[in-house]
Amino acid sequence: MKQHRFRLAISTVLAVGVGASAVLIGLGFVAALLVGWQTAILGGAHDSVAATDFGNLLPRLESLQPLAISQFGLIVLLATPVMRVATSAVGFALEGDRLYAAITLAVLAVLLASILLLH
Amino acid sequence: MTLGSDFAIFAVSAGAGLLGALAGVGGGILVVPVLTVFFGIDIRLAVGVSIVSVIATSSGAASAYVRDRMTDMRVGMFLELATTTGAVAGALLAVLVSASFLYLLFGCVLLLSAGMQLMRLGEETPPETSPSPLATALRLSSSYPDRRLGREICYVPRRIPLGFGLMWIAGVVSGLLGIGSGVLKVVAMDGVMRLPMKVSSATSNFMIGVTAAASAGIYLGRGQVDARIAGPVALGVLLGALIGARLLNRISNRSVRLVFLPVLLAVALEMVARSLGYGL
Repeated sequence: MKQHRFRLAISTVLAVGVGASAVLIGLGFVAALLVGWQTAILGGAHDSVAATDFGNLLPRLESLQPLAISQFGLIVLLATPVMRVATSAVGFALEGDRLYAAITLAVLAVLLASILLLH
Repeated sequence: MTLGSDFAIFAVSAGAGLLGALAGVGGGILVVPVLTVFFGIDIRLAVGVSIVSVIATSSGAASAYVRDRMTDMRVGMFLELATTTGAVAGALLAVLVSASFLYLLFGCVLLLSAGMQLMRLGEETPPETSPSPLATALRLSSSYPDRRLGREICYVPRRIPLGFGLMWIAGVVSGLLGIGSGVLKVVAMDGVMRLPMKVSSATSNFMIGVTAAASAGIYLGRGQVDARIAGPVALGVLLGALIGARLLNRISNRSVRLVFLPVLLAVALEMVARSLGYGL
């Protein structure tokens, strides 16, 4: 049954997004308890960053800074609904449901436009 | 922040996630006051955390709701057209209208709908009707498996243009005021379109994450998301939402309404208080 597989795909996207973010946030938290939020577990020390500053994330992530791990987890969490809308668009299209594929793409377009407009 | 306060925030957030998953709302109404009043966290950061809490509630519960056919994905996606365009309009309108007037207006609308909710307390499923031409064209007739009643419940959304309009306003409200959009969504689906209460709640839950995701990037960019506070909140809310998602289909539509009504009243009073210059 196509409809069933479609629902399962969306449910899986949501579960994976939520699971991955929870693991990352939890790991960052436990690591922070052990070595502190700012300490780079691998490699050299970084300048101390505010917990609200998501900049320069990749290098901090590579050196396993606990704060960066938690921040990455939050980004995964915040991106999950957008991934879900994108999956829905593909799902409706694969079902041959043109009307709802179009509606979903329109929602996605408004989402992206709102992010650009409001900045 | 001590480990003790981290745990307390986690526990409160779990409660907010549970409540949010059952009532179809984001749980910000519970998390924000607790963070600002009891933990002395700056309101700017509390609002950023509220966005995280909304997305965690939505994504945490929606996985189970979508799989169990509690979420009406067609209705949800169709109405998201209204909420997302409304949210953009709200952000653009913010400079033109007075927030305190809007708080008063929506506070009164919600108080009215609380009264209507009270009259429907005894109703388990909405009365059956035949689909309108618009409902047929949009293929919006559907059904969900009710575990409590042990059978498939068929339903047809009514007054679709009015529901769509109210959803647009819900989007404007979330763009302008940042609170109460989940509550308005449930009111629009349950009260106006007459979807079953559980479907309204699960579909609202599915939708609020998308509305919140539209503004999440802005809060992140403005430095309003503090990872050390948002972490325990996200984990707590996710746990609560997962438990709530397992509960929803096991309890009756009446019980869901009983959970929703106090949340509706709290948001209504919060809006009226804000219009008078009080509030959190």
